Amino acid sequence: MTTATLAAPPAGAAIGIDRLFLALALAATAILLALVLLDGQPTSAALILGGFGLGIAFLKAEFSFTASWRRFLTHGEAGGLLGGLLVIAIAALAIVPVAALVPKFGGAIAPLGPSLLIGAFVFGIGMQLANGCGSGTLYSAGGGSGRMLLALVFFMMGSVFGSLSLPSALALGGVDPILAADYLGPWGGLAATLASLALAAALIAAIAKRRGASFTPSRNFLVGGVAIGLLCVAVFAAGGHPWSVTFGYTVWGAKIASALGFDFSQAAFWQWPGPKHALAESVLSDTSSLTDFGMLFGAMAAAAASKPFARTAWPPAKSLLAAAVGGLLMGWGARLGFGCNIGAFVGGVASGSLHGWVWFAAALPGCLIGIKLRPLFGLSRE
Amino acid sequence: MTTMRKTYIVVVLLGLVAIIGNHLVSPSIGRAVSPEDFAGACAPCGAPCPSKK
Repeated sequence: MTTATLAAPPAGAAIGIDRLFLALALAATAILLALVLLDGQPTSAALILGGFGLGIAFLKAEFSFTASWRRFLTHGEAGGLLGGLLVIAIAALAIVPVAALVPKFGGAIAPLGPSLLIGAFVFGIGMQLANGCGSGTLYSAGGGSGRMLLALVFFMMGSVFGSLSLPSALALGGVDPILAADYLGPWGGLAATLASLALAAALIAAIAKRRGASFTPSRNFLVGGVAIGLLCVAVFAAGGHPWSVTFGYTVWGAKIASALGFDFSQAAFWQWPGPKHALAESVLSDTSSLTDFGMLFGAMAAAAASKPFARTAWPPAKSLLAAAVGGLLMGWGARLGFGCNIGAFVGGVASGSLHGWVWFAAALPGCLIGIKLRPLFGLSRE
Repeated sequence: MTTMRKTYIVVVLLGLVAIIGNHLVSPSIGRAVSPEDFAGACAPCGAPCPSKK
């Protein structure tokens, strides 16, 4: 501990609250809420608020998929990984049956094939270099990490490149999505999904035990996991689909590129109805962007409410380079892999879609490569 | 004020201006949608199913 941290605060100083950034985060959120409510869109407001809650929950619980997976791969510690499965189990309780039974609701599905495998693998490398995944990049950038702000910029760029690559990757082949509820019905699909999570948890705990490591989630991960799981359900209820993060980055990147003169009219991805609509319409008409904005400002508000915001110095150039490379790889990988650890893994598994588990199985080896590469950028393998 | 704080202020303000500007000049059908809401979508990004090719 340094002398500076031991020194008493000046009398009357409001140590702990960064009023400027707290006000900025709350004002920005209020402006976005006003814009969508003026358009008569209460569900859009609910998505912003859901994202805001997720930003707070992730930041306060320090809920990191990236560090959890790294600890599991390097030491066998499984508490964080099991906390992530808790989030999925809670979300699945609502998503599997509702997506199957209620019109206008749907799960996160995706085809199985080379594109999914390549994308998830590359994403895994990127998340370890950037030191944050889809959600981690968002809440860390919102929480005052300039390094992750840089990763976010490159994530956007990578995802635009990925959007241009995806049609070619899909041409390599694949099979249609495999959804548990399609074969077993809504409740059978839910039972199969929960059973797959229990099996995965047992396997992960057994590996941890064999390596002499802990497999008990910390209190932060338990409380945070429950809160994040419930917020996933809330976002699903408001948006009609499981929470997704990275499509918003792709839309932002493409909108910026369009403003700079890039023409997407010949790009196959941007002629598919969904992306075409998202590129043409207001950014506040895209569900993914709404939760992303909310999460950024929620994390900013939570960080500013507890300590001076973004007071640290910029990290070394090699660390920034890792963030940039990691961001690019994650962006490209997320488009080919149909999302990140949230949209593809959490959303996919919580929907009872086989692609979620395939994504996880392909991303883990990518993480191993990423962990091995970290020292090249001056980052620890821990 | 550190350069990181200045960077954040600039990024947040520019971002807000960009969001508001884009919202005001772009059409909007109303309800927020996901690419999965469109016919033929087989993934969260709206990619078509392999069987539809």
